[in-house]
Amino acid sequence: MNETDIHSKLAGAVVSGVGALDESAKDPFVVVDPGSLVPAVTFLKNDADCRMEMLNCVTAVEREDCIEVVYHLSSVTHRHSLTLKTRVERPAGGTHESWIPEVPSVAALYASADWHEREQWDLLGVRFTDHPDHRRILLPEEWIGHPLRKDYVYPHEHGGMPLDLDAVPLYERDEATPSEPAAPRPSGTPLVQPPNPNSDRPDAGGVAPADSDGDLRSIKPGSNDGGGH
Amino acid sequence: MGVLNNSLPDIGPVRAVDSAIGWGRKSSIWPMTFGIACCAIEMMAVYAATFDLDRFGAGVPRATPRQSDLIIVPGTVNAKMAVRVKRLYDQMSEPRYVIAMGACVCGGGPYVKWGYNTVKGVHKIIPVDIFVPGCPPRPEALMDGILKLREKVGRNQVFARQAQTAADMDGRYAAAK
Amino acid sequence: MEALEMYTVDPNDDVYTEELKLNLGPQHPSTHGVLRVELKVDGEIITASRCDIGYLHRCAEKIGENVTYLQFTPYTDRMDYLASMNNNLAWSLTVEKLLGVEAPERAQWIRVIVAELNRIASHLIAFGTYGIDIGANTPFFYAFRERESIMALLERPSGARMLYNYVHPGGVAHDIEDGWLEDVLAFCDEFEMRWKEYNTLLSHNAIFIGRTANIGVIPKDMALDYGLTGPVLRASGVSWDLRRDVPYLAPYDDLEFDVPVGEGTHGTLGDCWDRYWVRMREMMESIRIIRQACPRVPAGPFMDKAMNRMYKTPLKPEPGEAYMRCENPRGELGFYVVAEGGTSPIRCRTRAPSFCNLSVLDALLPGTMIADGVAIIGSLDIVLGEVDR
Repeated sequence: MNETDIHSKLAGAVVSGVGALDESAKDPFVVVDPGSLVPAVTFLKNDADCRMEMLNCVTAVEREDCIEVVYHLSSVTHRHSLTLKTRVERPAGGTHESWIPEVPSVAALYASADWHEREQWDLLGVRFTDHPDHRRILLPEEWIGHPLRKDYVYPHEHGGMPLDLDAVPLYERDEATPSEPAAPRPSGTPLVQPPNPNSDRPDAGGVAPADSDGDLRSIKPGSNDGGGH
Repeated sequence: MGVLNNSLPDIGPVRAVDSAIGWGRKSSIWPMTFGIACCAIEMMAVYAATFDLDRFGAGVPRATPRQSDLIIVPGTVNAKMAVRVKRLYDQMSEPRYVIAMGACVCGGGPYVKWGYNTVKGVHKIIPVDIFVPGCPPRPEALMDGILKLREKVGRNQVFARQAQTAADMDGRYAAAK
Repeated sequence: MEALEMYTVDPNDDVYTEELKLNLGPQHPSTHGVLRVELKVDGEIITASRCDIGYLHRCAEKIGENVTYLQFTPYTDRMDYLASMNNNLAWSLTVEKLLGVEAPERAQWIRVIVAELNRIASHLIAFGTYGIDIGANTPFFYAFRERESIMALLERPSGARMLYNYVHPGGVAHDIEDGWLEDVLAFCDEFEMRWKEYNTLLSHNAIFIGRTANIGVIPKDMALDYGLTGPVLRASGVSWDLRRDVPYLAPYDDLEFDVPVGEGTHGTLGDCWDRYWVRMREMMESIRIIRQACPRVPAGPFMDKAMNRMYKTPLKPEPGEAYMRCENPRGELGFYVVAEGGTSPIRCRTRAPSFCNLSVLDALLPGTMIADGVAIIGSLDIVLGEVDR
């Protein structure tokens, strides 16, 4: 079957919320309401003529006015595929910190959706309700923000690890600012401590940490300049 | 070391001992089995038959940091991995050496501009002895890096420096008195 | 699972083993990179497992939204770094689909040859490292010897040893030199001999079969449910190959090749040995494709004339979106690109085959021995650069 046949079957089976088929697109797609997503996917998976056994990909796309979640389904038996979309409108002033859109999870239908949805939550901040294991997957658990949002701000460091290009190395930082005061010197030791004789490396002493605020970073998530690294 | 400090005023024999130790060390640099990204495949190619790193005594990768002298960091280090790299380095025993392999590890590489979680060079985390640039470096480049490291290891004067420092300290101490 | 029932933890018994939590990775010789698996073990039996990935997350999708379409090609190299040509190809086809152009015929045939050569190189790594995982060191050295030949061949048109950046949108970056095709054919003859050697070394070795047959069985339904693709899916008995079923390059229609499917030769259908054997047979199918393709490379341009301007001014596709999928050595690599008229897309999603293939691991490990767990991870043949991107 081609996309048109699948769409007409789907629109007939699922009572409401199934939009028209956009045939002008390169991959014709159907937009469904978030509320009718699970019935639509259930139908596509179980119907004998559709038999979408495989969920290839789950993608969240951030646009100006909405976030849309795109599902690429395909059938190994019938060798056809379909693109399904669902949209969540952006509220006024919805930034990546304040606005977390919610879409029902299809992880109960396809095991492959589990990791894909976790990844979209991690990178784009789309919450999939009723997901069995809704954690971050690629970034550390304690990461702040969702990096693929357009208004994401790059961090300076994470978990004590510097992420800036001109950050002061960790080991030099420790020498410059000792964490605890040196123990009182026992009697009989020389007043002038010689440098560590086993060290091959030039002494790092005197490297003052640069201003931690201000323009420490030379790299900024700049606007798209069309290349030219 | 105390014996050496006090009983060897002449530094000549100490240098001989040093060169023997240096030769031994540089001829058996054991790297750690540690692969991160693309460069790890080129590192494996260096261990394999065509390039055969074993010719230089460095072809016995150890699976644990506690048995290895050298950590080759082959591939991008991100925020999540950096904690582990640092821990691995801390677990190695002295003398330990670090080779930064590849552009990402030398300074961020292709991920320097938009990499929100990549560490721009592993030298921000652990001190590096040899930088091997390239994306990925050819096996010949890595072998060159290891040969350079061998020179460096062979030059390391453990006892001579200690004896010299002890002599300096004695002199300084006497002057202070 | 029988083993698990035999050794279940029962605190009321007189003698029982305390459950132990074990971390496998991220620095572990047999996790193929920086995969970390949290295992709960009862003696030698794994009772629960949880994958932890992201130790090689390199922000590829964010970069894709910021660089131009041509500039993203080298980043695709670094996703599945064992099969750079195939990744370049998938990305180029995606951009071509978005622009509505098609590469010249000569470029298409060159693409087929380089992609199949790289498929062999990738499967050789899978073969060599799988031997090491199981405890056989020798195959690794044999595999890398032939891989070096392939890399020397691919270096000649592309100029790079491993990350080629050779297939560009609209064609290939450089033309092949005279005599290259003859050398490729000579390599095919030699490789066929070597392939038989591999089988005597590893494939039909009784210990190897003992370690891999009936281990990590993935039934057909489970494979489809988890979205597995590539050799892992075919080993479970599903004959699904995008080169044959959804031909993305015109020459694949004209070429004759079989799609190897698992048969359960030494045990249950879909076990580790089947996955291994499907890969081994795919190498020979690739050789078959290359042999047919080499004499048929036509003369003509290797790059679309109109596309040449992309080296000076960035491409600006019309608003739209395209999902393109290709059969990579590890399975279906898909790129989903959403353009809104600028020089770079607003979303550049990668559907990585290793990512999906790895997701089945948590379901496979419970009930197996730790050593078998290593065999299962190796048989999935993951590349962490692609899992994490």
